[in-house]
Amino acid sequence: MTRTQMRSALGKAVGLGSARDGVENWLLERVSAVALIPLTLWFTVSTVMHAGDDYATVMAWLRRPVTTTLMALLLMALFHHTALGLQVIIEDYVHSRMKVLLLVGMRLGCLAMAVTGLVATLKIAFGA
Amino acid sequence: MIIQRSDEVPDITLLKRFPVPRNFGVSAGSRIGKGRTWPAPGGAARIRRFDVYRYDPDSDGNPRIDTFHVDLDDCGPMVLDALIWIKNRIDPSLTFRRSCREGVCGSCAMNIDGTNWLACTRFISDLATPATIYPLANMSIIKDLVADLTHLFAQHRLVEPWLRSRTSAPERERLQSPDERHRLDGLYECIMCFCCTSGCPSHWWNGDRFLGPAVLLQANRWLTDSRDEATGERLDDLEDPFRLYRCHTILNCTRTCPKGLNPGKAIADIKKMLIERRG
Repeated sequence: MTRTQMRSALGKAVGLGSARDGVENWLLERVSAVALIPLTLWFTVSTVMHAGDDYATVMAWLRRPVTTTLMALLLMALFHHTALGLQVIIEDYVHSRMKVLLLVGMRLGCLAMAVTGLVATLKIAFGA
Repeated sequence: MIIQRSDEVPDITLLKRFPVPRNFGVSAGSRIGKGRTWPAPGGAARIRRFDVYRYDPDSDGNPRIDTFHVDLDDCGPMVLDALIWIKNRIDPSLTFRRSCREGVCGSCAMNIDGTNWLACTRFISDLATPATIYPLANMSIIKDLVADLTHLFAQHRLVEPWLRSRTSAPERERLQSPDERHRLDGLYECIMCFCCTSGCPSHWWNGDRFLGPAVLLQANRWLTDSRDEATGERLDDLEDPFRLYRCHTILNCTRTCPKGLNPGKAIADIKKMLIERRG
């Protein structure tokens, strides 16, 4: 018999013990969700309002300090929230060794997208 | 609307059953086949059909669904009465747990018409035709309607469901104000029937580590108890991405609780306590 089969029910339930962690992620997921409500509304309404404008007008709008600030906040809140949400989904449904790979890949992917967005926003704001 | 108790659940639901093929994703040994159809009792005026899950560990066979016909004029009003009637009159090998027959022992929890409930507090007249009786979902089955609850009771043991105090034992009872006692209302009534844990999708996918609604409600019962002095240690042991935070407030637990409790709120209260402690 292997060790897993001989282990007591309580031993199996305890497993590796409590991680003493999780409250931070839980709080940040909710805080970012609350932050995303006004930010997404602002972004959607602004995009729709600029739908018919030409390139120069949109660029001028994007260069305004308020727009740059809100865009940077939106990108950070959005991709942080996305990463936390995807982490929960992966932890829920993936039970193979792929889990670690997927988690690392997902984190790096979200980080890359956030950085790309921020670079674009800043380049428009401060660039030529 | 956020459902607070199982008696608030609307009668009409959008989907009775999620539309996937039967036996979808079920391992070969657990696939359910058609079983025996037992003849209806002769001369009975009111007959009700029951489709009951059967599994015999002594044979190599797969689980099967047996069809029984119950004479309602010869039988009590509850689902448990029907099961006892079947055991007495038709098939003595039908196996199920039962004890108090009044909803305080939690033995006869099973899946009745797709909902986890106590067989002794479910009226036969409220059932669909045919009535379907399955054991609690997501458990190893020992026989027929008897599920293996070993892991769930081990998880219950893990949260140390007893008073932990460092103050030396008093001469008489440990005192509690009426107000402090009232905070245990809605928590102490849990009878550990595991209807909620069996219905929790998070416990289906991660039951090895997620404690499940029944155990977390019990954990909250001891966190809330004014006489307990181990709140900090208890919270330490619960704060874990899997043990506690696998709860995604699906609230199947609250919808199915046959005692009308709200495990979803109990879990939310633990999360609030952790936020409060963090500062």
